[in-house]
Amino acid sequence: MRRGWGALACAAALTLVAAPLAAQEKTGNKPGFTLAPGTATIVLMRPEIAVGAQSTGGSYEPNADWTDQARENLGRALAEAQGKLGNRVVTHVEPVGQGAATAHEYRALFTALADSVITYQFFPGNRLPTKKRGDSFLWSIGSEVAKLPGVQGADYALFVTTEDHYGSTGRKLLQVFAAGVAGIGVSAGVHKGYAGLIDLKTGDLVWLNADLAMGGDVRTPEGAAKRVSQLLEGFPGKPVEAPVAPAAPTKTAAR
Amino acid sequence: MAGWIIAAALAGAALGAGASDRLAPLPPYGTAYTPTTVDERGLWQQADEAERDLRDSPAVVRDPALNAYLTKVLCRSVGEDRCRGVRIYVVRAPVFNASMTPNGMMVVYTGALLRLRDEAELAALLGHEFGHFEMRHTLASFRRGRTIGDIIAWTSVLSPYSTLPASLIQLHFSYNRAQEAEADLMGLRYLAAAGYRPLAASRIWERLMAEQDATALGRKRHVTHRYSAGFFADHPTELARATYLREAAGADGERGDDSRDAFLTAMRPWRASFLADQIKLNDFGGSEYLLGELAGGQWTPDLLLTRGELYRERGNPRDLVSAAQFYQQAIDAGCTDPIAWRGLGLSLLRGQQEAAGRAALKTYLERAPQASDRAAMAMLIGEGGVQ
Repeated sequence: MRRGWGALACAAALTLVAAPLAAQEKTGNKPGFTLAPGTATIVLMRPEIAVGAQSTGGSYEPNADWTDQARENLGRALAEAQGKLGNRVVTHVEPVGQGAATAHEYRALFTALADSVITYQFFPGNRLPTKKRGDSFLWSIGSEVAKLPGVQGADYALFVTTEDHYGSTGRKLLQVFAAGVAGIGVSAGVHKGYAGLIDLKTGDLVWLNADLAMGGDVRTPEGAAKRVSQLLEGFPGKPVEAPVAPAAPTKTAAR
Repeated sequence: MAGWIIAAALAGAALGAGASDRLAPLPPYGTAYTPTTVDERGLWQQADEAERDLRDSPAVVRDPALNAYLTKVLCRSVGEDRCRGVRIYVVRAPVFNASMTPNGMMVVYTGALLRLRDEAELAALLGHEFGHFEMRHTLASFRRGRTIGDIIAWTSVLSPYSTLPASLIQLHFSYNRAQEAEADLMGLRYLAAAGYRPLAASRIWERLMAEQDATALGRKRHVTHRYSAGFFADHPTELARATYLREAAGADGERGDDSRDAFLTAMRPWRASFLADQIKLNDFGGSEYLLGELAGGQWTPDLLLTRGELYRERGNPRDLVSAAQFYQQAIDAGCTDPIAWRGLGLSLLRGQQEAAGRAALKTYLERAPQASDRAAMAMLIGEGGVQ
């Protein structure tokens, strides 16, 4: 009963380290998908945000204050960015009771789907046989998603996830020491995030942007704005130039 | 060398920890307790997020009567003032387990409820989990695990062939086992203070060992109960727990109340569904042992029906003969669940008793006209379907 493995697993796996992520692709689009500006309504689901520190041994130390700051900053940055996405973006109002259970299941399902895309499509050397052709970005969470409470009348759902482990002083010391004295590479910090767009009529994933080494310190408003702009890089239907519509005042849903 | 490594590692760990390490003086079960340190606040927030998801999960059994009963037993066991800091979630999973998060979320599996015999045993289990909460075990384990991880990180850079990491990993798991033993003994103290029978705590583990033996026998595996735990075990062995709990219960461990009737009354509406989940585990030996334990010589209709299903699932020719007998006994003893006739019919059909089998299946369809397997059963009777 209960926990325990993470810290030691990380420490043991510290036998190091950091497979080069250079060959990784970051963005995928469903073949043939286009989204013209001003034609669709997009629901922004409650973002998944976790911020903490990384101990010397590499284990994640959750930090409630940083996570709260990031939620606030990212919420504001997303609200500002919404006006610039070229289509109407509304914030999902979390249902209660049975609907909340369904919403949670779809959030988990999207995370599983995005992880699969990152593992089996974005790493060209690791592609599944069915994903090897150029036009094979075909992933779906199923058309039942249309029945999810709170998305009726909308065309697309936008999911956003970020996870940050800021390297502690001890971790950075270890990194410098390991590189300088022992000649071993030790990574400090984990900063990953992804954003994806689901077609609510078919459940298909039409766009995914994933980055395992993101920039921007989400604990500050400026950093959060940078992070959001990286997350939404290549967002379909985004006008090249300045915003077409003024930013609607929106708040991220409090659960 | 080793001393120097540890000194450097501890310095690194201290630099990494940074913020204040002082814990709030109040106990975590107090009303609206708010954690103050960075670590405890972080762990509570993580647990809060997990609880939001569990709260809405379809795996949670939300029956008000069952939940009220568990809360009542917890409150009697640990005290009215303490139990208010805990939310209990009954999760549908047919294995023996329960868990506790640092923010007061307690999870009890339905498999545990099926295996407990009386209220005193339930109180022992709830008191054990409450002990983890009260003693802030998750926080302590998190901090120790982090320090150990830090030392291992430095060691693996400075002295890659050192055996120190192996000893530290062993230390970490033995710390966790010590926490479990501490929670066991706290649960026992609550049990005795609330007037429950103290020996109930050790009985749980004795029966669990017997069930593991039956499972192993059914799977033709060898099992030996050991007193000492393995290298990576995060709990003491069942044998060790049964032994120290029996010793700690003392000479008058039988004194006290077990409230068996209240427990059975609370579980009665649930037992059939818990049993149905149990036999899907494909664990013939363990399930057969558990059914015998639950019956205790008095085979009730729900137990007979489950036993019939268990034997029919294994499906050797001799099992089908036994299964048909169990279904018939269940029906004779007053079972009203239509699946008894389905099981009887299918067992008889496969045992070459076609007329009797068809008659039983007909009764099944009469009693359950909306059954989802109606078409298949009708085909077996010869009344339609694809021939």
